[in-house]
Amino acid sequence: MSEVKQNTYWKSLNELAKNQEYQKFVEREFPENASELSDGFSRRGFLAIMGSAVLLASCDFARRPVQKILPYSKQPEDIVPGVPLFYASAMPFQGSLTGLVVENHEGRPTKVEGNDMHPGSHGGTSIFHQASVLGMYDPDRSKKVLRKGTDSTVNDFVDFAKKHFADTSKNIAFISEASSSPTLLGLKAQALNKFSNADWVTYEPFGESNALEGTQKAFGRRLRAHYDFSKANVFVSLDDDVLNGTHPNSVEYGKQISAARKVTSTNDSMSRIYAVENGYSLTGSYADHRLRLKASEIDAFAHALAAALSGRVSGLNAFSGYSNQFSDHEWISALADELVANRGESVVSVGNNHSANAHAVVAAINKALGNDGNTVNYLEVPHLDEESTSAFNATVEKMKNSGYDTVVMLGTNPVFSAQNKDFENALSNVEEVIHLSDYVDETSKKASWHINKAFYLESWSDGHSYGGVRSVIQPQIQPLYNGLSDIETLNIIVTGEMTSGYDLVQNTWKNIYSSGFKSKWAQLLHDGVDTNSGFTKANVRISSSFRPDTGKDNAISGIEITVRADSTLYDGRFANIAWLQELPDPMTKITWDNVAAMSPATAKQLGVENEDVVEITSNGQTIKIAAWIQPGHADNSISLTVGYGRDGIGRVANRYIDYTTGGVDTYPLVGNHFVSEGSVSKTSDTYEIACVQDHHSLEGRDLYRMATLEEYKSNPDYASFKSYHTYAVPGMKEAAEKGEDVPISLFDEQTYPDSEPQWGMAIDLNSCFGCGVCVIACQSENNIPVIGKKEVNRGREMHWIRTDRYYVGEDADAPMTAHQPVPCMHCEMAPCEQVCPVAATTHSEDGMNQMTYNRCIGTRYCANNCPYKVRRFNFFNFPKEFLTTGAEPDIIQMAMNPEVTVRFRGVMEKCTYCVQRVNRAKIDAKIETGSPKPAEGAVKTACQQACPADAIYFGDLTNENSEVAKMKRNERNYQMLEELNTRPRTSYIAKLRNPNPVLA
Amino acid sequence: MSKYDYVPEPALVKGDHDFASLTRLVTDINLRPTPKGWYLAMIGANALLAVLGIAVGYLIWEGTGVWGLNNPVGWGWAIINFVWWVGIGHAGTLISAVLFLFRQDWRTAINRFSEAMTIFAVMCAGVFPAIHVGRIWVIYWVFPVPNQMAMWPNFNSPLLWDVFAVSTYFTVSFLFWYVGLVPDLATIRDRATDKIRKYAYGIFSLGWTGSNRHWWNYEKAYMILAGLATPLVLSVHTIVSFDFAVSLIPGWHTTIFPPYFVAGAIFSGFAMVLTLMIVARKIYGMKDIMTDDHMEKMNIVIMVTGSMVGFAYMMEFFIAWYSGVEYEKAIFLLRATGPYAWAYWAMMTCNVLSPQFFWFKKLRRSVGFTFFISIVVNIGMWFERFVITVTSLANDYLPSSWDYYSPTIWDILTYVGTFGLFFTMFLLFLRFLPMIALAEVKMIIPQADPHNYDENHDYQAPKVEIPTPKAVEA
Repeated sequence: MSEVKQNTYWKSLNELAKNQEYQKFVEREFPENASELSDGFSRRGFLAIMGSAVLLASCDFARRPVQKILPYSKQPEDIVPGVPLFYASAMPFQGSLTGLVVENHEGRPTKVEGNDMHPGSHGGTSIFHQASVLGMYDPDRSKKVLRKGTDSTVNDFVDFAKKHFADTSKNIAFISEASSSPTLLGLKAQALNKFSNADWVTYEPFGESNALEGTQKAFGRRLRAHYDFSKANVFVSLDDDVLNGTHPNSVEYGKQISAARKVTSTNDSMSRIYAVENGYSLTGSYADHRLRLKASEIDAFAHALAAALSGRVSGLNAFSGYSNQFSDHEWISALADELVANRGESVVSVGNNHSANAHAVVAAINKALGNDGNTVNYLEVPHLDEESTSAFNATVEKMKNSGYDTVVMLGTNPVFSAQNKDFENALSNVEEVIHLSDYVDETSKKASWHINKAFYLESWSDGHSYGGVRSVIQPQIQPLYNGLSDIETLNIIVTGEMTSGYDLVQNTWKNIYSSGFKSKWAQLLHDGVDTNSGFTKANVRISSSFRPDTGKDNAISGIEITVRADSTLYDGRFANIAWLQELPDPMTKITWDNVAAMSPATAKQLGVENEDVVEITSNGQTIKIAAWIQPGHADNSISLTVGYGRDGIGRVANRYIDYTTGGVDTYPLVGNHFVSEGSVSKTSDTYEIACVQDHHSLEGRDLYRMATLEEYKSNPDYASFKSYHTYAVPGMKEAAEKGEDVPISLFDEQTYPDSEPQWGMAIDLNSCFGCGVCVIACQSENNIPVIGKKEVNRGREMHWIRTDRYYVGEDADAPMTAHQPVPCMHCEMAPCEQVCPVAATTHSEDGMNQMTYNRCIGTRYCANNCPYKVRRFNFFNFPKEFLTTGAEPDIIQMAMNPEVTVRFRGVMEKCTYCVQRVNRAKIDAKIETGSPKPAEGAVKTACQQACPADAIYFGDLTNENSEVAKMKRNERNYQMLEELNTRPRTSYIAKLRNPNPVLA
Repeated sequence: MSKYDYVPEPALVKGDHDFASLTRLVTDINLRPTPKGWYLAMIGANALLAVLGIAVGYLIWEGTGVWGLNNPVGWGWAIINFVWWVGIGHAGTLISAVLFLFRQDWRTAINRFSEAMTIFAVMCAGVFPAIHVGRIWVIYWVFPVPNQMAMWPNFNSPLLWDVFAVSTYFTVSFLFWYVGLVPDLATIRDRATDKIRKYAYGIFSLGWTGSNRHWWNYEKAYMILAGLATPLVLSVHTIVSFDFAVSLIPGWHTTIFPPYFVAGAIFSGFAMVLTLMIVARKIYGMKDIMTDDHMEKMNIVIMVTGSMVGFAYMMEFFIAWYSGVEYEKAIFLLRATGPYAWAYWAMMTCNVLSPQFFWFKKLRRSVGFTFFISIVVNIGMWFERFVITVTSLANDYLPSSWDYYSPTIWDILTYVGTFGLFFTMFLLFLRFLPMIALAEVKMIIPQADPHNYDENHDYQAPKVEIPTPKAVEA
């Protein structure tokens, strides 16, 4: 099949007819027959035959598929078919581990959840963790070892390595992505020991290099700032989007920040967040005060803040007398007052894309405020020693001068992502380039050896959380494509032998646990975390040589171009994961593409509107990209994100042949800084953008209710319908006459007062910061198909829960943001149920609005009559295209949850409150206690479980002590559109803001 | 003569016709060889019918997604076309049943014609609810058929009411039409010279001999069916409007819908009758029977119903404001000023403004102008259905869900294709069945009443020009 046609699959359903793979599939009499399956998998001795075959029966395109399932010939221990097992593991991301619990169906991982015991998770996850399941089952991942572009084997590589690395005097450059694995660090030490002329560089495109250099300047040591927001009353974020999944510790920070802002009664307090930034970030959207400032002015702003504090706290003497253009800004004095009043209980942070100077100033401020040891811990992180932009540049320089015979790259993609554009050319001066990666990516194509990497769910490894707690990564499945992990590859290079990752990791941990290894190891695997561990906290002093970078306000007077990691694709490594491509950007709500975001004023000045293509020139490079107007963006500043515009990666990531999808590669503009001066001009072209939300205003409607903390304290009932409208919900008066407390209705009430349990949900809008992990968790749990850019653009997105984002406020330049997750409301008097002609949607006795797919004929009347518009229609056979096309459709099918029906064409679907989880808990409760009423906390919906902000409460409303019942009794609880008398079971806890009276 | 003198109605049949010439005028069309023009028209209609077949086939093969529907807008052109065709299907039964009960003799010239139009329009309408569902192969679940699942349909759903309302309407309209046809089929049978025609018309004329007994039964049956059909005229579009009115979507959830839909249906139905009549009477030389007087009367109905529709539009706005419901207010403002304002103002111009020209007698009697307005009215009524269906869904409660709807080529082809179905049926009707209710027209020409209420021979006719009846041939 030709490249082009394959490329188009995800993005255009019309192309489907031309897809030969699909046609072949149709032509076969038995679409999936069992003998083929076992051929594919027996080689790997893999347990999932049965699981996938059962799944196939449910997701095939024929209405009555004919398939065979096979029993185990030898029953493996612990496996009860149909009952999942849960194993602790952890996912490495930017070198830090987040502890996970992986749901495993018959040897097939299908879903990840956060590990409650792991400090980097506390039960929460980010979109990248959730989507990693699909990442592993990606049929486009590299499946082979390649030697100069032709097929090879691991054995060939071992033979090569034995020979090639026999000469220990070779000049070798090791370039590794950030990794905190003790095993890898041990092997690294061995490698540097063995190869005397070897250099080791840690390279991350959006890594901590600047931050580490900053603490070097301020404290004289390279240290990681680890915040504890649970103790912070005030958080000042200088363009540091700690709540976004792109931050390596976003889950822990999200947990802490949202917990510090939980308010359940008028006696509670909440922390206050200030954000200063150019683009509109998640942290900015969650902040009480947000100042839009060009990214290039952040440095000066930090200096001005330090200067304002210098007279009031000790340690910042170097800044006394310093002033710049922000010294008289109202924010500076307000922040200084606030920080001084909250000494030791505040956090100031600055984003990793800002200069080392800015980091140094912020570190000094934190130290001077006494936050060190309280809300900020400076940690000694051993594996970050080699992470340095300048070291990387020096390596590239040496490569250019033919200083290396061999370059070994462990899992990075510098040809695509390096700021240093010479890297690609410099590689040609190297004799042997060995590259380990998930995909045959841009760097692999330049390498003489490409080794397909095993996914974290496929291989043994270990590592540290952001705060330093140790974990072991347990594989959940044999490597699907026989890939090697980074430790196995490095071990081959060092020893010339293939040793399994299991042995390598165990050897490391035998050293760590010098006594009682066996039981400690078992405990570690069970818990997924060694809680008696952590990075050393450094005692820091502001170094006497630290000076403000006087006069060095790097502000760019013209238009600045900022380039950032993408909220859904990060640096591009997740670009082939369809769930993430189709996840709307949390702020712009754009899917499948990146854009040049700019303020309304800048757009007006440039004469551009949404979807106009602009030409952006910076650092001598020019790209063309669609413009997007972002309210609240700083003027004369353009925000770009990376990871798009790929060729030859996979069917999801690739650009379409005529470039109508796939976005634009923005790495060329990065240059040596993430912020640089540039010029922007409008072209006559337009580029279609698939944005899932066209309308950004609430139109004055009471769907999202918000007040300040002060207003709440003076009027606790602010969120009630009555305080919004000054009269009660219509029908209440008549109901009161009948002695009822809900409005009268024409329809039969579906409340089943005698049935227990009764399910309900409450969503705390004060906690939600809109990250979108609920969407991905739901997609993973409920087998929701991906439909492609074209269909999204036609308004047919399938997500069962969506995060609506509204802009609030009078000022179009600086609006506030309202994030509102909207799942099905499970109305007690559901309008959808009244209008279905065939009774395909009905009420269950436990209070759920249920959808019977088999009965649905697809009139779409229910969706029309849903005031919340949460119903989703299968306009085409989306699952068929998602799950049965491509070279190996059975691979991606394994990512599906066997407990959830795959829906077919022409039926309606929607949030079920994860009915499969509810019913499992009910069955378990019935077996254990005889009553189908599960204990509090026994059921968590997928969205609730994944949420790093604990914004979603779900449970039994008949249990008065359940969390959800308590939240629903809260005076801030309200129902969306309660005047319609639909009586939603999903309600909202109204938002609170905590503004500073000085700035309000 | 003073101006208060009695002025009789102008003669309903113009020209110098007697029973025989009327018989020839109407039935010769069915008996003479098929003209070339008919074949040409049939080729065109069949081509469009093929388009319908392809569009529906493609839809069923690929899925509802080939249409332009999206998440907020679950109903688009299919439902618009359904309501539009059902509306057009109102004129026939109104003319044949309601005007019959009110003894409006002028209806006889057009009732057969418009009833046929009704039946074919309802057929076109019926296509859409069947094909717009996601899983057409289980569409029979909407019927209350006893089954192994022990499942009834949901009797709360207006869509189910629709199924009953439209099928009842179709059945009664069809029976009414057929009963009226029986004497005329017998006339053709008697005049037919070849065997096939004799047999075919003979079978369908049910042994009609014109005996007194037959006439007695016929008149009774016709009266009873007219009585049954009359409430259906009101009920069908009332129930179709319930599809919208029973929901809770702003702009749909209004009590004015039933009368407003019925008025609109009559409005569009009369316009469609006029469109077809003006062409047909020209081609088939029926100007003596379908006279300018008929056209004028129908134009008055159009003017009245158009004004009722216009009143309903204004009332909707008033009630939206008066109710104080913010969502109602918003949707009506959005209709007039929002993304679909072009459709709204097209509707207002076509439906409210254009019929007002019929206040002028000269325009009411102008064939060309009437033809033009009759088409404008049906365009306007299509837009009315578009505005109701799409704008309300596209901009309902949660602004986050708002989206713009635009049709695809398959929406358009399906709609165009139904004209193929309509015209194919209509051409077959013109070719094989008498397009005028011959027996009924004969009853209203002067010859049918030779005594002129003058049994005592002492009546002095006023001095007005009444065409002198000719002697009746045996």
